[in-house]
Amino acid sequence: MAQITINGKVVKAREGEMLLGVIKREGIDIPALCDHPAIEPTGNCRLCMVEISRAEWEGWKKYVTSCLYPVEDGLIVHTHTPELLEIRKNLIDLQLARCPESELIQKMAEDYGIHKTSYEIRPDSDNCIMCYACTRICEVLGCSAISPAMRGHDKKIAPPFDQPPPDCIGCLACAKICPTNVIKWHDEGGTRTIWDKSFEMISCKQCGKKIITKDFAAYIVEKRSLPPEYFDLCDDCKRVETARKMGEIVARVEEVAL
Amino acid sequence: MRLESVKELALLRYDAVVKREAQSKKILVCLGPGCLAGGSEQILAEFKIQLKKKKIKGVKLEAVKQTGCQGLCARGPLVTIEPEGIMYTKVRKPDVAEIVESTLIKGEVVEKLLYSEPQDKKKKIPHYKDIPFYSGQTKIALRNVGRIDFHEINDYIAVGGYAALAKVLTKMKPKQVIDEVVTSGLRGRGGAGFPTGRKWATCAKIEEEPRYVLCNGDEGDPGAFMDRCIMEGDPHSVLEGMIICSYAVGSHEGYIYVREEYPLAIVNLQKAIEDAREVGLLGKNILGSGHDFDIKISKGAGAFVCGESSALMKSVAGDVGEPRAKYIRSVQKGLHDKPTVLNNVESYANIPVILEKGGKWFASIGTKKSTGTKAFSLAGKVENTGLVEVPMGTSLKEIIFDIGGGVPEGREFKAVQTGGPSGGCLPASKLDLPVDFDSLTEAGSMMGSGGMIIMDNRTCMVEIARYFLEFLVKESCGKCVPCREGLYQLYQLCTKITKGQGCEEDIALMEKLSKTIQTASLCGLGQSGPNPFLSTIQYFRDEYLAHVRDKKCPGGVCRELIRFEINDNCNGCQACPKVCPVNAISGEKKKLHVIDQDLCTRCGSCEAVCRYDAIDVF
Amino acid sequence: MKFRFKVTPNLCIGCRTCELACAFTHQQNSKPGRSRIYPISYAPDKWVPVTCLQCDDPACVKACMFDALRRNEETGAIELDKERCVKCNACVAACPFGCALNDDVHDEVIKCDLCGGNPACAAFCPTKALEYKRIA
Repeated sequence: MAQITINGKVVKAREGEMLLGVIKREGIDIPALCDHPAIEPTGNCRLCMVEISRAEWEGWKKYVTSCLYPVEDGLIVHTHTPELLEIRKNLIDLQLARCPESELIQKMAEDYGIHKTSYEIRPDSDNCIMCYACTRICEVLGCSAISPAMRGHDKKIAPPFDQPPPDCIGCLACAKICPTNVIKWHDEGGTRTIWDKSFEMISCKQCGKKIITKDFAAYIVEKRSLPPEYFDLCDDCKRVETARKMGEIVARVEEVAL
Repeated sequence: MRLESVKELALLRYDAVVKREAQSKKILVCLGPGCLAGGSEQILAEFKIQLKKKKIKGVKLEAVKQTGCQGLCARGPLVTIEPEGIMYTKVRKPDVAEIVESTLIKGEVVEKLLYSEPQDKKKKIPHYKDIPFYSGQTKIALRNVGRIDFHEINDYIAVGGYAALAKVLTKMKPKQVIDEVVTSGLRGRGGAGFPTGRKWATCAKIEEEPRYVLCNGDEGDPGAFMDRCIMEGDPHSVLEGMIICSYAVGSHEGYIYVREEYPLAIVNLQKAIEDAREVGLLGKNILGSGHDFDIKISKGAGAFVCGESSALMKSVAGDVGEPRAKYIRSVQKGLHDKPTVLNNVESYANIPVILEKGGKWFASIGTKKSTGTKAFSLAGKVENTGLVEVPMGTSLKEIIFDIGGGVPEGREFKAVQTGGPSGGCLPASKLDLPVDFDSLTEAGSMMGSGGMIIMDNRTCMVEIARYFLEFLVKESCGKCVPCREGLYQLYQLCTKITKGQGCEEDIALMEKLSKTIQTASLCGLGQSGPNPFLSTIQYFRDEYLAHVRDKKCPGGVCRELIRFEINDNCNGCQACPKVCPVNAISGEKKKLHVIDQDLCTRCGSCEAVCRYDAIDVF
Repeated sequence: MKFRFKVTPNLCIGCRTCELACAFTHQQNSKPGRSRIYPISYAPDKWVPVTCLQCDDPACVKACMFDALRRNEETGAIELDKERCVKCNACVAACPFGCALNDDVHDEVIKCDLCGGNPACAAFCPTKALEYKRIA
């Protein structure tokens, strides 16, 4: 167990856990756009930066991203100094120039008193804030179908060579984890389309309802050794089927009792 | 012919020395980057042809040697005749026959090929030791560059190569090696200046296998070519440094990361590695010591950001070269998340000398906090562009004027840019500053990896800032917001100013933005990204103000803000109308000409071709 | 595990109190949420309460590629970490009993969490068809 100070309050934390978790547990609200429990932190958005120092540093301090900085006993942390607020404000100002249409960024900007960006707006802008959540979750999945491509200001999230990604299984994790809803997908008939790739959905054998793609089910069956039959029916029909089976048990119990 | 012991190496060295001394007359043809571009390969071939034809007593074919950069690139192609130490400059293929006839056969110098100072063209200096460019230098890292054949391991051994390794493997324990490096005070020559001994000591303490020894040969700074010359001209010095490091920290696997734009360095390093493997200086049980170590070359793919240590390690591992936050240092978790030592090419080149002559000796050179020497590449508006090495603490003035020969064409010194894009520009008032790790940083620039670009009065400092910002925007990996978006916006604002569309509020915004970029960026590229702007606004604010207030460019560079006018010196020679691409100049023969300002595109061709100083820039 | 959720299906009378209790316990925006227990009639006047059986070898945990489903050792429940869940619906498709589902209205995946150790359905079931018993 380690002991650290956050905004003057002494707090206990596990040695080696990331500062951001501790800060959030204390109920302190700092923005962390690229942070998500299901993925490893990367420190892209820089908004979770905090000021740290130690008693032996004699007043010297440094700024670190709390999502990546591990707890050390004796750390002194400040989360809302005027310098940090200025940094966050400027970063959001830059994000607003990049994604002027994003409601999330607009709301954040308003919270920091920015009504209009101070900078030149990106032409043909989309709402991608380059948080890498989509690529990271695809890595966790084990497919790595998409990744950051190009360099610098031209950087974008894309499948290899901008072609339909061979490794994508249509699970939609990337689209759903995206904080600004940039990744679009389309379910129609029995087909799902995402990243310009088409997937056949599993059709419930009884009612035809669709839940996940055939590729995704096959992936889970392979990676986790689940019986493929589990995916034949939709959840509604499986519940009815369960009820029916439970009914059979009831009938047998009553038979035996008689 | 594998060397199984240190004794066998000593015998090999003896043979190599005897062979080298037997041919006392040497013709060293520089195949460094500049001279190579000037045709020195043909000169080398011509010497060989001539010697085969002429059969001179005491001068066999082996006398002709290809060497790495001999330093005075401005006067290349260079040929040095040993043992006299005669240096021939601006040699061309037709001159070779004359050199052979006059110098090798008759023992006379060829006057017209000798060096002379620009201010005294009649006084020729035959021996390179007497040329001020060379007499002011102290060579340690560059000790062999320009002296030996870079493809010959026996040449390296003959001049003392691998003697330090032999001493380390037989007479020293790993901890003693680290202590010696700590005593030397050697600090990373790549620019960050981290104490090398401390880095090795930290790695050696970590109990995790395997460990890796990496060499950073990315050298991304525009205008820097020190590491290139070491890798091309003395590749074994790098290998020896790495092997010694591997022994000290307990590593068996090493990589040299070479930027893709240095194919010759890759060829020369690869040859050196193969030759070292053949004699057993790389591989298993080196010189019978029981220590195993081998090196592979990892090629870059054209990214400046891959010179950053964590991005480099990702690139070596085959991933996209993006830096990571280094709260956990790469010496703990580096390549493949294992303990890794990464040092610069020049740092490794210094190691054999430190182990041979002792850390104390190395620390006696330079200054207390910046020991030893540093290699610099002098470029830009300086007389003697080329490769130099001086003790730390030498002043900027001495390097630029005494060794560099000052600013040519009668122009004035305006600024010197050091440290590449991460560095900054210092004005004439700072010329007395000593060049070391700390003094330039205090003044708002940094020494960096050793690139030094000199600028004269016809330079616009705002345009310089814009140029470096453009470079950094293109080279940013794009992962974090402050660098990707911030530097981009900084660059956009700077460009606006060079076009005369900026205002004073823009400058204030740029200063505010710079602070955020410096503090919030994930890696060194972003953190030092605003430096080109910050150092120029610090020392040349009046130029920025001229651009935004008066819409003028004092340096006479920014096209939208300058105008060319013909003055009274014009004698109507009619040279300029011929070169004007838009026919904006009119005038009769032998009469004053005039430029039509509406048509003029400010290309500067007229100014370049005028021999009478008749064209002014406002 | 210290507790076990016991279902005695022949005692179920189809009163649907469990469904109501669940909905009120899992409120969303101060309104009753989607229930995680499903009383279903399998024959005329015959009902059973279908709910997550907190399997010993749960298919949902296996199907989740993002580690969002974990056993709570205290209560015995397989809990879905709402923050971690990316709503890919793998668990919805994989559960053989259909006890994880996609709540379209609130755009989230839901399943029974045994109310953190005090299941409301069992507390309100009038016939004790649902019980939460201490076993250790």
